[in-house]
Amino acid sequence: MGPPPAVCTRLLSKNFGAVAACDAVDIEIHRGEIHGILGENGAGKSTLMKMLIGLVVPDSGSILVDGSSVQIPDPVVAASLGIGMVHQHFSLVEALTVWENVALGDEGRLSRTAVRSAVGDLSERYGLHVDPDARVADLPVGLRQRVEIIKCLRREPSILIFDEPTSVLTPEESDELFRSLRGVVEQEGRSVALVSHKLTEMLEVTDRVTIMRNGTVVECCVTAETDAGALARAMVGRDVRLRSAEQAPPVPGGYGVRSGSAERPPVLEFRHVEVRESGGSMELDDLTFDLRAGEILGVAGVEGNGQRVIADLLSGLRSQSRGEIAVSGVTVDVSRHGATIEAGIAVIPEDRHDSGIVLEMTVAENLMLSDPSGLSSRGVIDRAGVDEMSRDLIDRFAIMCTGPDAPMWTLSGGNQQRVVLAREITAAPKVLVAAQPTRGLDVGAIEYVTDQLRQVAASGVGILLMSSELDEILELADRIVVIYRGRMTGEMTRSAASREKIGLLMGGDQL
Amino acid sequence: MISGLMVEAVGFEWTAVGEALLNGSVLKPGRWGGTIGVTIPLAMVAIGTIISTKAGLVNIGQEGQLVVGAAFATFASTRVPGPGPFVLLLILLAGVVGGSLWSGIAGGLRYWRKVPEVLTTLLLVAVASNLVGYGLKNPWLLLDPEAKVGNRNLVSEQLPPDTRMPRITLWGNEFPVSAFLAVALILLVGWMLNRTLWGYRLTVVGKNRRVAQRFGISESAQGMIAMLASGGFAGLAGALMLTGGDFANYRLVPGFSVNIGWIGLLVALVANNRASAVIPMAFVFAGLRTGSGFLASTGIERRVTDVVQGLMVLALLLPPAIMFIRERRRALASARSRV
Repeated sequence: MGPPPAVCTRLLSKNFGAVAACDAVDIEIHRGEIHGILGENGAGKSTLMKMLIGLVVPDSGSILVDGSSVQIPDPVVAASLGIGMVHQHFSLVEALTVWENVALGDEGRLSRTAVRSAVGDLSERYGLHVDPDARVADLPVGLRQRVEIIKCLRREPSILIFDEPTSVLTPEESDELFRSLRGVVEQEGRSVALVSHKLTEMLEVTDRVTIMRNGTVVECCVTAETDAGALARAMVGRDVRLRSAEQAPPVPGGYGVRSGSAERPPVLEFRHVEVRESGGSMELDDLTFDLRAGEILGVAGVEGNGQRVIADLLSGLRSQSRGEIAVSGVTVDVSRHGATIEAGIAVIPEDRHDSGIVLEMTVAENLMLSDPSGLSSRGVIDRAGVDEMSRDLIDRFAIMCTGPDAPMWTLSGGNQQRVVLAREITAAPKVLVAAQPTRGLDVGAIEYVTDQLRQVAASGVGILLMSSELDEILELADRIVVIYRGRMTGEMTRSAASREKIGLLMGGDQL
Repeated sequence: MISGLMVEAVGFEWTAVGEALLNGSVLKPGRWGGTIGVTIPLAMVAIGTIISTKAGLVNIGQEGQLVVGAAFATFASTRVPGPGPFVLLLILLAGVVGGSLWSGIAGGLRYWRKVPEVLTTLLLVAVASNLVGYGLKNPWLLLDPEAKVGNRNLVSEQLPPDTRMPRITLWGNEFPVSAFLAVALILLVGWMLNRTLWGYRLTVVGKNRRVAQRFGISESAQGMIAMLASGGFAGLAGALMLTGGDFANYRLVPGFSVNIGWIGLLVALVANNRASAVIPMAFVFAGLRTGSGFLASTGIERRVTDVVQGLMVLALLLPPAIMFIRERRRALASARSRV
């Protein structure tokens, strides 16, 4: 036996109510390896990591660091034990500079020169180049992540945990990140735990993979000895249709190669639309595109480059400062209450808790949101009608819940998404905006959502698909536009698209 | 418990105090009537509070809205001629208008100028009582033209008997018929909040503004309506106090509101914003108030009941909070010992 593992857990368990988020989990992360932790959403990956850095206290079991048992009641203790984490959502102060952010959490006197030179050293050593005097607010997401990593590395951690690090990066940025991680691991014998649900990443980057399902470890294997199919089977527990960017699967409903789509009428048009932030900087800049009936138009781009603004515009949550938005040739004033609904725009929002559902209300009440007047007479809600409608939708969309009167917060994320989907699709829209429709869903639910989207498009609805997962866009979209900082950097048909080309455009290169 | 200890601490038997409170509020013959009389405005204030809370607003100025409502009601009573029942109806309407106007100021500031309604409603309480105080000094406003100098110089004209709320006697308890009106209104509001589009939209606005906006529900319109309704109910409470006969002998006097607005707020809080719980909770708080009159016989300072009242609110609100903290502590401790 070699040296004890950097971190290992023994029978670690955590229950939330009746749900076992982690059930007797054993993992071992050794020095000098990149260890992948793969699992669907809700498999217990995040809970496990949170226990390692002290954000969640385990119910039972033990954690061993370098062979000795430890207790980790909070992140400060975790840091002193050499465990650091780069969260999916960064914890940086935008108004401060890079070095100031790196120094956050330090105690005693702050030495500007010492911190700045530390930042410089770390940048040099790991190839994480970033200007220590830049303001974080001015940095693109990829660089912000570097700042976060440097912040972690400066504490000299023996193990670094990354939670879904690539969801905010372009393909090039992801490659760079993994190169520097490789350096961290090989040069200094640190270990990296990489939490992800992306199979390709796991195969390309990690040394070993632990696969979790329903709160337990189902398999731990050496990456070189496995393949995507085996990983997916272990993750889901059955055979799944794998998403493949290279060959779009045949589509039910007979769409696919649609030579005639160019002649179809546009259902949604953006004409020189411009949105300014209250501070004055551009969020959408002269954006012009159209979406035709029955078409899926993919909007590719790194997160935060305007996708959310487009969705907010079409949800009636914001309005443009210049330009025109038209549905079926009729201009829509999105600032007027309910105008987007009347125009026939349905939206599956990026953050369903923000503008998709009301958590404190029941499933039925959430389902009736798009057309409450239709389910009432003279202002009195028709309870029987609502009940019937919700039972029907719960059946048709296979929403797992105790019934129409179940509070929305009792549903899992995937089922909440089904509620949104059911409501928006049955509203018989002309345009369906799907912003990150599969985020946070497990593989089974993703299959379901993508099938639904295809069917809706086949029925003649125009779908505007915004996704940070390039694979999803390449699989579903007929046509693709790429946006970067609120500007369109390219437009192409699916057949003319390639990962490399889109990747470059996502990084800001003009076509 | 704690209140019992406290009473012991000031040197009295706490059972005697409890007995006095119960005697004064419900046990002694005829005491139900007085307690119901106090319950009515408390319940009205509380149901109004529930409406604004549903819309996600924090209206804490019921005391002021009630005073303005009462003042409007008084003004109407002295200026409108006509048959008694008709004037009575107008008085109540004037109360509603007064209360709505007062909360409407806060609502308007909230939606047009983004001033937090927590601040404005609270500050307007002070404005209200001072304005009404001014009104009570001027005969052309509220002051009784025949008020004599001395301690009666700041009162309004007494309502003539035919514009007072009729009182009835049931099983030896005398109370104003507005009790039935109050019950009907509470049932109506409870039904409207749960079963109508209005209540549904209000709840959506209160729970998630972004969803409301997305589905074309106007936050400002719904919020404004809720604010006006909330103040209207407080104003109605004021008018009912004026016409009901259980307060200030059918006159508007300084300090007329006797904290009914504040206590009504507590009733809504303790009722956990459920319309169905308003009536029993309002009755309990009313009982504390009427029972305190009997405390004098035990020789204890009346104000003790205020303390009891405060402790009661704490007693009702603390257990969930304490349970939460204890649960958390226990979880942490057991986790530590096992790991």
